[in-house]
Amino acid sequence: MKSLDGIKFAEMVQMGAHHLYQNAGYVDSLNVFPVPDGDTGTNMNLSMTSGADETELHAGAHIGKTAQALSKGLLMGARGNSGVILSQLFRGFGKAIEKNSEIDAKGLANAFQAGVDTAYKAVMKPVEGTILTVAREAAAKGVEVAETEDNLIAVMEAFIEEARASLNRTPDLLPVLKEVGVVDSGGQGLLFVYEGFLASMKGEPLPAKNESSLDDLINAEHHRVQDFMDTSAIEFGYCTEIMVRFEAEKEPFDEEQFRQELNPMGDSLLVISDDEVAKVHIHSETPGAVLEAGQKYGSLIKIKVDNMREQHSAIVNEAPKTPAKVKQQKVPFAIVTIAMGEGVANLLRSIGASYVIEGGQTMNPSTEDIVKAVQEIGAERVLILPNNKNIIMAAEQAAELLEIEAAVVPTKTIPQGMAAILAFNPEESVANNKNYMTEGFAHVKTGQVTFAVRDTSIDGVEIRKDDYMALAEGKIILSTTEMMDAAKQVLDNLMDEDSEIVTIIFGEDATAEQAEQLQSFIEENYEDAEVELVDGKQSLYPFILSVE
Amino acid sequence: MSVELNNEFGHIDISNDVIAQIAGGAAIECYGIVGMASKHQIRDGLTDILRKENFAKGVLIRQAGEDLHIDMYIVVSYGTKISEIAYQVQSKVKYTVNKTLGMSVKSVNIFVQGVRVANV
Repeated sequence: MKSLDGIKFAEMVQMGAHHLYQNAGYVDSLNVFPVPDGDTGTNMNLSMTSGADETELHAGAHIGKTAQALSKGLLMGARGNSGVILSQLFRGFGKAIEKNSEIDAKGLANAFQAGVDTAYKAVMKPVEGTILTVAREAAAKGVEVAETEDNLIAVMEAFIEEARASLNRTPDLLPVLKEVGVVDSGGQGLLFVYEGFLASMKGEPLPAKNESSLDDLINAEHHRVQDFMDTSAIEFGYCTEIMVRFEAEKEPFDEEQFRQELNPMGDSLLVISDDEVAKVHIHSETPGAVLEAGQKYGSLIKIKVDNMREQHSAIVNEAPKTPAKVKQQKVPFAIVTIAMGEGVANLLRSIGASYVIEGGQTMNPSTEDIVKAVQEIGAERVLILPNNKNIIMAAEQAAELLEIEAAVVPTKTIPQGMAAILAFNPEESVANNKNYMTEGFAHVKTGQVTFAVRDTSIDGVEIRKDDYMALAEGKIILSTTEMMDAAKQVLDNLMDEDSEIVTIIFGEDATAEQAEQLQSFIEENYEDAEVELVDGKQSLYPFILSVE
Repeated sequence: MSVELNNEFGHIDISNDVIAQIAGGAAIECYGIVGMASKHQIRDGLTDILRKENFAKGVLIRQAGEDLHIDMYIVVSYGTKISEIAYQVQSKVKYTVNKTLGMSVKSVNIFVQGVRVANV
């Protein structure tokens, strides 16, 4: 096709208008800018119909006069922002070719460009990412291609390809589009008009009608309501979506009747149906009633109910009714362990514990506490390390109660727990890990320094209240009024020439200097051993010592 | 000259200039509007289009109880459908003021003070 006259152009306009009319509902569903009122398609369609009617009345062989008629019809019937812009695009288009009886490829491209120039002149602050952008980028492409191409159809094809690409880029230019997940509605409407033009030029049938997808409609609907709400103002709290597959033995389905039925149940009602299924979206306070209403016609094949008050309070950042828990990442294989003292807890976490329950000598966690902790991290398999002989029983019970694979590694002290964690291999089974880890802590010797709470005698050692007791591997070896003495005695008891690593975890009743004194003591007496200091901040035990 | 809002924490005072800026800013984003004009073109001797800092001269805010009324003086582009442009400005201003200030706008009245011919 080398030239275009008024008759052909009038046909193109009819086809463009018809294609837009077919898809007006879809364009409506995309409408979120400048005001999300879902009428862009309706408005553009009314404007374009007015333009097409006027064109038909005055169509002649002279393309200039035919285009003038289109321009006038559009101007008179312009509705909405998009309609006004459409009228400007074709006003400039018509003006550029008013003297031509027919146009060639260059003429067509330049006319589109003139339309864009006119449209841009009528606005102070053009917003990019809209119908204007789509028109502009497409026109520029058309002009470029027409430099070397004299076939009108080829130019139009390139022009439309660019328009489509430009439309798909609109969300990158206009944040609200990206937020809602749609392309610009006005730009989409314009593309439908252009597609109609091309189909008419080629003498082909129109491209298939775009079905408004329920998702687009829902996105736009939610965008509309979210802007203005505070949580307490949500009247219908459950966003309910169902999909019903019709069944012969149930009631015959009538979309309009169904809509009437659902209408009193809430707002933001959307119903889409074909011969087999109906999809429904509604904000309701009685989601049950919605489900039942759907079941009258068939079986529910998809159900989704969201509590919008909860979601919304999260969105608007109001203080939610329950303190929000930091959602832990789901760990397939977790280690849950018990420690007292923040420093110890951090240490255990740093070497691989998924969750540390703050417990200890006097605040032993119950079975229930352990179960809750495991459930909270949502692991599929878990190993529990009690790190205290008084918690082993509770841990065993927790492992029984849990509905996932669970086992207890019977660690009695923090150093044992650390050694066990270091022997953990996430690739292995629960049972194998239990064995490795139990072996892993077997060679660890633990020393503790703690206070006596009353006068007593244990294992033949006389103990006075407020003395420091030294325990090696859980056995009391002496009781003295000197804390540092007790600690050194414990170390002497535990160390031998094979000892390589000593970890000193000092608690809230010991200072860093005292811990360093112990370190010097070890370095002087056992030169092969490496010493590590940890500020465990634990109570009751000024020192916890581990020797391996 | 300001609009007051009260809530449980105390009250919020929004000056008319602020509302004028927001309404004017929303208006000039509308398609087909060339600018804001002064309400008293003769007195102010401003036959020209207002700059952003002077929007208040072309936007009048009135508060009656909870309701807000806005009068806007605009200049439109020649060759557009003026009634439609005015309607677009009304709806855009209403929406924007509601969204940014949480105030409902009872009425937006448009006064078209001029038409600009773009040199096509």
